[in-house]
Amino acid sequence: MPTVTIDGHKVRIKKGRTVLDAAKKAGIWIPTLCYHASVSCEATCRLCMVELDRGGWRQLITSCNYPVREDIVVYVSSERAEKARRGVMELLLARAPESPELAALAARMSVDGTRYPTVTTGERNCILCGLCVRVCEERIGQEAIGFAGRGEERSVVPPFRQASEDCIACGACAVVCPMGTINVRLHEDEGEIEISPFKSRAKLIVCEKCGTPIFSAKVNEKATSKVSTDCKVFMELPPLCPKCRRSATAARLASIPICKNE
Amino acid sequence: MIAALEKFRSPTDVETFSRAMHSKAKPDSKLVRVCIGTGCAARGSRRLYELFTEAAGRSGLDIQVEAKCVGCHGFCERGPIVVVDPGGIFYQRVEESDVAEIFRETVLAGKVIERLLYEDSQTTQKASKAEEIPFYTAQKRIVLENNGRIDPTKIQDYITHGGYAALAKVLSSMIPEDVIMEVEIAGLRGRGGGGFPTARKWRSCRQAKGRPKYIVCNGDEGDPGAFMDRSIMEGNPHSVIEGMLIGAYAIGSKHGYIYVRNEYPLAVENLKAAIVQARELGLLGKRILGSSLSFDIDINRGGGAFVCGESTALMASLEGRPGIPRAKYIHTVESGLRGKPTNLNNVETWANIPAIINHGGKWFAGIGTDNSKGTKVFSLVGSVKNTGLVEVPMGITLRRIIDEIGGGVPDGKRFKAVQTGGPSGGCIPAKHLDTRVDFDELTKLGSMMGSGGMIVMDESTCMVRVAKYFTDFLHKESCGKCTPCREGLSQMLCILDRITSGEGRVGDVERLEELADLLEETALCALGQTAANPVLSTIRYFRNEYDAHIQDRHCPAKECRGLFRYEIDAEACKACGICMKNCPVEAITGEKKVPHVIDQDKCTLCGTCRDKCPFDAVMKV
Repeated sequence: MPTVTIDGHKVRIKKGRTVLDAAKKAGIWIPTLCYHASVSCEATCRLCMVELDRGGWRQLITSCNYPVREDIVVYVSSERAEKARRGVMELLLARAPESPELAALAARMSVDGTRYPTVTTGERNCILCGLCVRVCEERIGQEAIGFAGRGEERSVVPPFRQASEDCIACGACAVVCPMGTINVRLHEDEGEIEISPFKSRAKLIVCEKCGTPIFSAKVNEKATSKVSTDCKVFMELPPLCPKCRRSATAARLASIPICKNE
Repeated sequence: MIAALEKFRSPTDVETFSRAMHSKAKPDSKLVRVCIGTGCAARGSRRLYELFTEAAGRSGLDIQVEAKCVGCHGFCERGPIVVVDPGGIFYQRVEESDVAEIFRETVLAGKVIERLLYEDSQTTQKASKAEEIPFYTAQKRIVLENNGRIDPTKIQDYITHGGYAALAKVLSSMIPEDVIMEVEIAGLRGRGGGGFPTARKWRSCRQAKGRPKYIVCNGDEGDPGAFMDRSIMEGNPHSVIEGMLIGAYAIGSKHGYIYVRNEYPLAVENLKAAIVQARELGLLGKRILGSSLSFDIDINRGGGAFVCGESTALMASLEGRPGIPRAKYIHTVESGLRGKPTNLNNVETWANIPAIINHGGKWFAGIGTDNSKGTKVFSLVGSVKNTGLVEVPMGITLRRIIDEIGGGVPDGKRFKAVQTGGPSGGCIPAKHLDTRVDFDELTKLGSMMGSGGMIVMDESTCMVRVAKYFTDFLHKESCGKCTPCREGLSQMLCILDRITSGEGRVGDVERLEELADLLEETALCALGQTAANPVLSTIRYFRNEYDAHIQDRHCPAKECRGLFRYEIDAEACKACGICMKNCPVEAITGEKKVPHVIDQDKCTLCGTCRDKCPFDAVMKV
């Protein structure tokens, strides 16, 4: 196992893992935005830059996707690395000045505000990290959203910018979004669930007993279609929220007489 | 036309065929070579070819007369170009009406038509052959040697001129490692811009684990004003194919791709035809020339995104995904196209390979400088008398390229800067004109070799606007994936916009430098990392122009609207009243015999007075 020396701390890490993995192991924090352990790395935000020392020749790298293949020395808190991360953060703050999530991350990096004006606009607070696109493709397998446009015009949209049939309104994109740009909205009066800003809607399953919204009907379909065993039993169960199902199950069990072994 | 050919079954077949073609040629045959490169074709050279063919058919003479389409001669400024053999009589700016005369006088009677010859503007000397024209004398043509000689649509012609001899040599007498060694001795470096040693790339790919291995030719030439690769693909497509075949043998690849811009229809057409012909002759396909080498090539047309010239974006595009770069911490020679070892070289790099094999690496290494060997093709454009395609030995000075080959700046204007390396290159000022052109020297000056764009600018060009132009280009072509490139370029463009419209602020230059540094340090791909070069190099050499815009609200080159004014030279003004009549806002006053005056408060800087004045009395100040 190669050894990674981060700011003087030595950690051993499996070959092929990243500098970010090593830093985590060493307990050293590196700011990230477009990184999520559950999806592939694209290194788009450039916030996790660290300095790699190649025996005198130093180079900035993105820690989230730089694979460790031999013993290496990296600096997270070198002046050059910090300057680069600060610069990137300032550009991000200029793009999304209203995001409390970004402001909090900036504060943690000791970056107080940006010197740049807002010159690019997109979906509110979206910094195009692409986590939503990747989670939808790689984890959910729906590819309901993707990138459109180039350069300043790049944006995350459903095909043809219209509500996508492929979206199952699972909300995974909202979960991974580091900026709070994507939201799950419940329209209880219409019995629908919406993924904002992608405008896609799905029928909402509500608890038969207490009326609490559970999840989208399409998620239910997809989940049950993936179960290979005979799930007829499950399908026939009434839709209940976790709480009501627990109490229903408990009630059922309580009604069964207890047989004591003699 | 030559009858259908038989498949070559061994390396010696190539030479036998070439010999047979030579012996068939009659010594007294006449040949009219008509350039059908895109430049000349745009001026109607295809029609000239038709007319010459008709004339040759009608002649009914004993001697063999043939009209032939050939690729770009490079001297596009003077197109259409027609060369008559024997003698290589070089006619320029030929028109349809000249065809009959050329045929009668030169082809049949062997006389030279003075009127159609190139005349040097300074010495007024006429040149009857290409070798006598200063544009060609300082050049050394290796890659472009056969451009202008062979018909790019006929493989026979390529073979007659020594084509596929290098492949035959490789297959009959060299092992793959020998081939890589030869390229290493030659010291060939990538011509696409990076300048990476070709042999090292080949070796890494050869040694990389994984099958199949791919070979890719990068023909996605997107730099504004550059057409080196286009001319090679159009004018000598087989040299690229032969280079790739030799590469495939050295690396151990069975499949290659040529990625060409869709905007190059003739290049696509000629390459397609060349591949079909090479297959017919058994030069592509299974067991080439009876050897163990099997290799074939597909053509892929790019959709016009500049970033697709970047290797990882190009490969993504080849795979059918959006052309967007990825991090290269794992090199493409290990994991490229479809995750397999992939060797990508530029068109010009591939086209150099046959010459290196034919003449030997030592010969190639004898040309050029210590670290940059061989020649480089440049497209010389902008404010220069002889625009066109030039191939020069590495190490030649910029001054010789611009003054000797290019003929200097026209209209008596003063040279200001030369932009090399495409949009990511830099602007080099007059004081560095004696720099020797090679990869490292140009980088030292804050510019780069790039793929070979060379734009000459004169005193009437505002350098801040130049920086803005290229920043705008890259801003539009940025894929938008990574933060620094997308956001940083937007910020830079915003500042440059401000400066060129007279609203620059103190500190703007420093802000630009800071953003440039950030881009270089943090951008994901080479497009972003080098995007600030035009800005940085113009700040480095023309800081005074930035300061004049910001502090004095004045554009020294008088190009930025609002940052200069029009005035009438009282001495030159003949008080004719034309400017007064044409001024749309009645800002000019004057009487007969009294020089006219522009009221600066009323003037909207439209420039009509300057355009209309018959005495050039309206000045920009």
